[in-house]
Amino acid sequence: MNSLVKLASWAGLVLFGGFFSVVLWKLLTGGISLSYLLDGDVRDPNSPDGSGFSTSPSAGRAQTLAVTLFVAGWYLLQVIHNPRQFPHLPNALVGSLAGSQILYLGGKAHSMLFGKPGE
Amino acid sequence: MKNPEFVWSTILAVAVTLVIAFWGHTDPATKVKLALSYAGLVLLFLFGFLILAAIASGKIDISLLLAESGGGASMSRFQLLIFTFVIGLSFFLIVVSTGKFPDPIPSGVVTLLGVSASTYGVSKGIQATGMASKGPPNPNGQAQGNGQGHDGDHP
Repeated sequence: MNSLVKLASWAGLVLFGGFFSVVLWKLLTGGISLSYLLDGDVRDPNSPDGSGFSTSPSAGRAQTLAVTLFVAGWYLLQVIHNPRQFPHLPNALVGSLAGSQILYLGGKAHSMLFGKPGE
Repeated sequence: MKNPEFVWSTILAVAVTLVIAFWGHTDPATKVKLALSYAGLVLLFLFGFLILAAIASGKIDISLLLAESGGGASMSRFQLLIFTFVIGLSFFLIVVSTGKFPDPIPSGVVTLLGVSASTYGVSKGIQATGMASKGPPNPNGQAQGNGQGHDGDHP
């Protein structure tokens, strides 16, 4: 039974590492495009292509990306430090993540329905 | 035969089951348990590996994994991808370290995946509402929805 557990661990490592590596490789080489990741749609009646929307850099997306990377990195570090149990997520971290998402969604809703703030 | 690799994987798993079932001198109940466990592991690994190889070779195209219909990358999809990998790696490390599957699933895992999946869902809703309520064509008289960028991208 011991060898079965070892074999399962290696199989899991190969598969998980493989999927992670392939996705990472494609992200780095442009096989999976990240273009316009930080650009959002804005309602624009005078858009050049006549679609009614144009794209512009979005601060909401940038802060969401930063918070997401921070939370993901923090969580992973905790697991690596103590791989015997899942880490407890502090309320402040959950609140920050939720707040960041609300900010992003609120900004997106505003720019899609009413255009850029202040215009 | 369209996918002979899958058939060969199944045959290999059955072969492993038979070898373990007729090998050794343990009691029959343990033999059955071991045979089924090894067969399941072999089958799961080979199926996973075939999919992995197909993705790596481009037979399964994942170039639009993060893209929306307009071609831009989606922040909420990217976020879901990151959390999926983080949670997946955490599960793997914890199962390997403790030798058992965590029970119950911790609330932190559900929270992380729930927040990012909800964001994706709400974002799609906002996108659909925004597109549905967009105004009349601009004064230049061009047609709406030319399919080049604003028909559902960037959720």
